[in-house]
Amino acid sequence: MPEEPAYSSAEEPQLVQWAKVGDMQAFEELVARYRDRIYVRAYSIMRNEDLAVDLSQNAWVKAWQRLEQFHGEASFPTWLSRIVTNLCLDELRRQKRARTDSIEAMEETTGPVENRMEVETIDPVEGLSRGELRERIDAALAKLSDKHRTVIVLYEFEELEYREIAEKMGTSIGTVMSRLFYARKRLASLLKETLKRDGLIE
Amino acid sequence: MNENEIQLKVQALVDGELTGREAEELLSRLESDAGLKALHTRLTVVRGLMADAELPRTLPESGDFHWSQISKAIELEERQAKHMARPASGANWLLRWVLPLAGIACLVLVLSLQQTTMPDLDILLGSDHELELSIEDLDVMTFNTEDDNMSVVWLDYSIDLQQDEIDLWLD
Repeated sequence: MPEEPAYSSAEEPQLVQWAKVGDMQAFEELVARYRDRIYVRAYSIMRNEDLAVDLSQNAWVKAWQRLEQFHGEASFPTWLSRIVTNLCLDELRRQKRARTDSIEAMEETTGPVENRMEVETIDPVEGLSRGELRERIDAALAKLSDKHRTVIVLYEFEELEYREIAEKMGTSIGTVMSRLFYARKRLASLLKETLKRDGLIE
Repeated sequence: MNENEIQLKVQALVDGELTGREAEELLSRLESDAGLKALHTRLTVVRGLMADAELPRTLPESGDFHWSQISKAIELEERQAKHMARPASGANWLLRWVLPLAGIACLVLVLSLQQTTMPDLDILLGSDHELELSIEDLDVMTFNTEDDNMSVVWLDYSIDLQQDEIDLWLD
């Protein structure tokens, strides 16, 4: 009887090859390795636990169905991350169709006015661990609108270029730049508030 | 270039999206514009803070449960895909092809029967001489009275017969 492959110790490319020929156990191992990472990306965009779980699961199902299309141009987790990001964007579009996004629409059309606000100066924060800073940034991200948070996540975390973000969001590069600029100003302002409140800066 | 556009250009410079001559021109402008230089510095700091800033999280359900949901969904989708790809079953085949064909066959049969039982509008005038009358030449009037239990059908062949043909006919 042939020996069962040692999935837990197998290299990622080997697991992907096995999964490509229908080995569900190899795919299960890939899910075990990257499930948190995929969930985090979904949560960063959606800011909703249940939705993020559902979209992560859908992303894995899609990944299984499209494994033949994965040729290793990007790493496997990067490829997966693109899939879950696309699903999140589809979900945001679906939600947008279901509601009137009047406040965001106003923000979009009042670009020159919003841009009068200065980008806050944030001094490097001494005595704050990376983890603590991440928590504060996360709290600030949660306060951004869907559009502004998404553009930040796609640029800073997903590491996409302006052009790629514009394609994914179905908008122009100019709009991406404008949203990113506004999102950063808001983030800087929110961070400054929270750091001041915590007595970490003057 | 207005204020908004120049701010976005500075941001593009910070993001490394501005290259070549455009980047050089903006860099030299920053040297002489304190406001733009300050903006460049602030945006650079914000970018630095955002690097690797995504808060790590753990999936709020067990790994086994997560996988069971994924594998169930995969199986379901595969079953559905197979069902879609499978050729039509006997009953489906009957519904899809046999019944419509049977319907068409019935229609053809009815039309054929109607054609054979319809009165022939060509009137034969004898074994040697025949006069063809077509439907264009035929006028029909009908009169029906239920009181007298009678129907009258008046056929009018308003054709222009030549005298010799009439003679022939009357022979």
